[in-house]
Amino acid sequence: MSAPSWDELAELALKRVVASGAEYGDVRFLDSTTQTIRGEDRRIASIQDMQDRGIGIRVLYHGAWGFAASSVLSLEEAPRVAELAIEIAKGSASLVIEKVKLADELVHRDRIVTARRIDPFAVALDKKTALLLETMESVHRQPGIVRSSASLWARRDRKLFVSTEGSRLEFDLLAVNGDFDATAIHDGRFASRSFNTPFLRMGYELIEDANFLDEAPRIAAQAVEKVKAPTVEPGLYDLVLDPEHLSLTMHESCGHPSELDRALGYEANYAGTSFLTTEKRGTFRYGSRHVNLVADNCESETLAATGYDDDGVACQRWDIVRDGIFVGYCTNREVAPKIGETRSRGSNRADSWGSVPIVRIANIGLEPGTATLDELLADVKHGIYIEGHGSYSIDQRRYNFQFGGDAFWMIENGKRTHMVRDVIYHGITPEFWNSCDGVADRSHRRRYGFITCGKGQPSQSGWMTHAASHARFRNVNVIGGQAGS
Amino acid sequence: MSTTSHKTWPKLTGRDEFQFLAELVLKRSTGDHTLVSLQDQQSGTTRFANNQIVQNVDTRRGSLRVTVAFGRRHGTAGTTDLSAGAVQETVARATQIAHVSPDDPEYLPPVEPQSYLTPPTTRAETAAAGPARRLEYTNEAIGQCRMENLGAAGIVTSSIATVGMAASTGLFAHEERTDARFSLTVQAGEATGWGAAAHRSIDHLRVQERTLTAIDKAKRGLEVREMPPGRYTVILEPAAVAGLWSSLLWTLDAKSYEKGTSALTGKLGQPIVDTRLTFRNLPTHEDLLGIGFTSNGLPTMASDWITDGVLTQLSYDRFTAKERGIGKIPTLDAPCLSGTGASLPTLQELITHTERAILVTNLWYIRTVNPTDLTLTGMTRDGTFLVENGKIVSAVKNFRFHESPLRVFNRIGAFTKPAEAITSETGKLLVPAMTLHDFNFSSVTRF
Repeated sequence: MSAPSWDELAELALKRVVASGAEYGDVRFLDSTTQTIRGEDRRIASIQDMQDRGIGIRVLYHGAWGFAASSVLSLEEAPRVAELAIEIAKGSASLVIEKVKLADELVHRDRIVTARRIDPFAVALDKKTALLLETMESVHRQPGIVRSSASLWARRDRKLFVSTEGSRLEFDLLAVNGDFDATAIHDGRFASRSFNTPFLRMGYELIEDANFLDEAPRIAAQAVEKVKAPTVEPGLYDLVLDPEHLSLTMHESCGHPSELDRALGYEANYAGTSFLTTEKRGTFRYGSRHVNLVADNCESETLAATGYDDDGVACQRWDIVRDGIFVGYCTNREVAPKIGETRSRGSNRADSWGSVPIVRIANIGLEPGTATLDELLADVKHGIYIEGHGSYSIDQRRYNFQFGGDAFWMIENGKRTHMVRDVIYHGITPEFWNSCDGVADRSHRRRYGFITCGKGQPSQSGWMTHAASHARFRNVNVIGGQAGS
Repeated sequence: MSTTSHKTWPKLTGRDEFQFLAELVLKRSTGDHTLVSLQDQQSGTTRFANNQIVQNVDTRRGSLRVTVAFGRRHGTAGTTDLSAGAVQETVARATQIAHVSPDDPEYLPPVEPQSYLTPPTTRAETAAAGPARRLEYTNEAIGQCRMENLGAAGIVTSSIATVGMAASTGLFAHEERTDARFSLTVQAGEATGWGAAAHRSIDHLRVQERTLTAIDKAKRGLEVREMPPGRYTVILEPAAVAGLWSSLLWTLDAKSYEKGTSALTGKLGQPIVDTRLTFRNLPTHEDLLGIGFTSNGLPTMASDWITDGVLTQLSYDRFTAKERGIGKIPTLDAPCLSGTGASLPTLQELITHTERAILVTNLWYIRTVNPTDLTLTGMTRDGTFLVENGKIVSAVKNFRFHESPLRVFNRIGAFTKPAEAITSETGKLLVPAMTLHDFNFSSVTRF
């Protein structure tokens, strides 16, 4: 006997939901295939091909949520899961104070497919392992390198979303990433330098275009240069930050505080709340006039550009910060009406069939300015140029932050000179963004994606892309990595 | 067989069913070695905020992983579909991967059959708990907060899992594990108070007691003063100690130690923390979350890691252990940090005996700043207070810290007996509350 179709199971489940008297319900099927190839110290440590599929059913009953999910896809299990979701929603309803009222959304029937030139799952495994082994070999040719790692990752998500409102959305999505790093030792200390492709929704062409073998000698040489570099002198510096570095700064200090569920207290027990409280919208000076942060879930190849979110809301583009003023939040159908908005921004996502969707950061990016990178550097007498991601930490309202980086160069009299190490800068979010006095033009714009953004209980991993051009910040407090000595 | 008393729960994969699945895999595999592992879990979480439920979820996920090896070439495939056809297809995928994998010089065949401890991994009351029990605890926490006109945000979680390992070497292990968790943040305007618990038994979460403690902290935070950054004597509650200590645990990796990329390199056999501290693994301790076997089928064991401040053990992968002739690999599934010598019975006693200090409920967003000396940063959270002359005199604004556990755990004043601790960034440990001197608070935040 053949397995029941997803549509058949969805119909069974939704019939139960409708019969229960619930005001809303949706069913999500997800079949994810993830291939991970991990190399370590010149060997392939593991190759894994994991398939994860199941059904998740969400029910809104008398203004309260219930959700149940199962990895068993059968004619018996789908109604059981639906009944359990209904029972749970009824329990939630017993403690309801303010009933959930969903913002309206049009009924959508659509199919979304990631455009790809090369299917990452069709590329021969031995070609992938050879690339990683050659990359690590190349890294180890650099004297001073003691460790290396390299990995490739690809994910395919086939998904079906069906709601009691009549939406039916099919997805066939891809995401790809690759990275490697080199670790050097010198004088009793060690340091790493890394190379990352940006996690995009495209095919294996992302890896081929990244030219690992061309980049490996540079990364290895910079790891050695980094470990031998002098430690930074603590003090005030002008900083010029590269797009990869800025992707993390934006994610932590702008992305998370702009999640409306945080501002409303939903995450108070875990990820935290937000200093961008609702009365600040439209008036609060978040940054200087150079700071324009735009959420764009429509830009092709980016992680949050999935056509529709897990509320069945179409992806959109909107302002978060316009000319330095905080103007918008990331929302879903539940929280949007709480600030008087009539439509969700479409930022409700679950990380699997077994998770309930929650508000996630959109593809928030820093809009390009007009300068070139050389012009940004030219106007710095005493500064630091920072590339890539390093240590990061921020308080639960996203005020007090600290960022490191992957590589640091002194800027002296307008020129990038030599590497330094142990650079850590810290500050208060709005003060930092108000110190931005220049953003490079569109030709410098790069995109970086995140797939491990932690939020929610049980914890979920959010996916989004942050794009930026280089930007300059004045008089930032650099404390150095020896701060505890 | 597994315990599933809730009327709408499906039966999880019991020992006999796993044996059947394992035999199917092992018969089907053409590899020189085959390893199969099972994780089948039913887990529910009731999540609340602003004094009402915002998420209420229940998920059943069964998954099987198969590793097939030909010589030193190996591949792994996994599935959440436990039907015979899907399991066979998973074996085929793992086999295909193994065929094209390069030789892995560090590959080792699955372990031989082992004898295991039988830690108390499952409790019937947790296995029987369902949405109604979670609702009951939620109602209790919210009700206490409502009575005080405060806001409650938190979770109640219960889960039951069956875990299995089998291999072509004859290895077979199967275990049922339950887990229950509660955490709560109480909001009093800008102030917050927090408490958390995890236990095999849902009856042991002490929801009412922890709720009242979190309420007390939130109420004490209504009047807050700003203290300048600097070096202070601190009293770290067990959760805060757990945060710092857990960061030290990640550096115990033996391979990193040998390659020189660990902050502990060269320190085996040497004192690394105060000589009054001893750190052990205690898998059978009732209040820890010990397990019978690890993810590669090795038995867990009671073991000493730091004795009287001296580092005596590293965390070995199987390959490095073989290279070093380590027969039995110590595990760290149930960690316990304790102090020897004079200790104070309670946190309150620690406060009473302190002239001036900052009392820290919890640390948050702890990250490594300098891996060479293990300098960490992070924030205080959900209850930071000034203690003067044995009493809490006010709340203070939260600090960012920069400290290395390798430095600060050498500046211990007093400590209590070990207590249960868990945070959102650590597993469960038993650790004392401690007074530490010259703790480096490098900046202050706005609240």
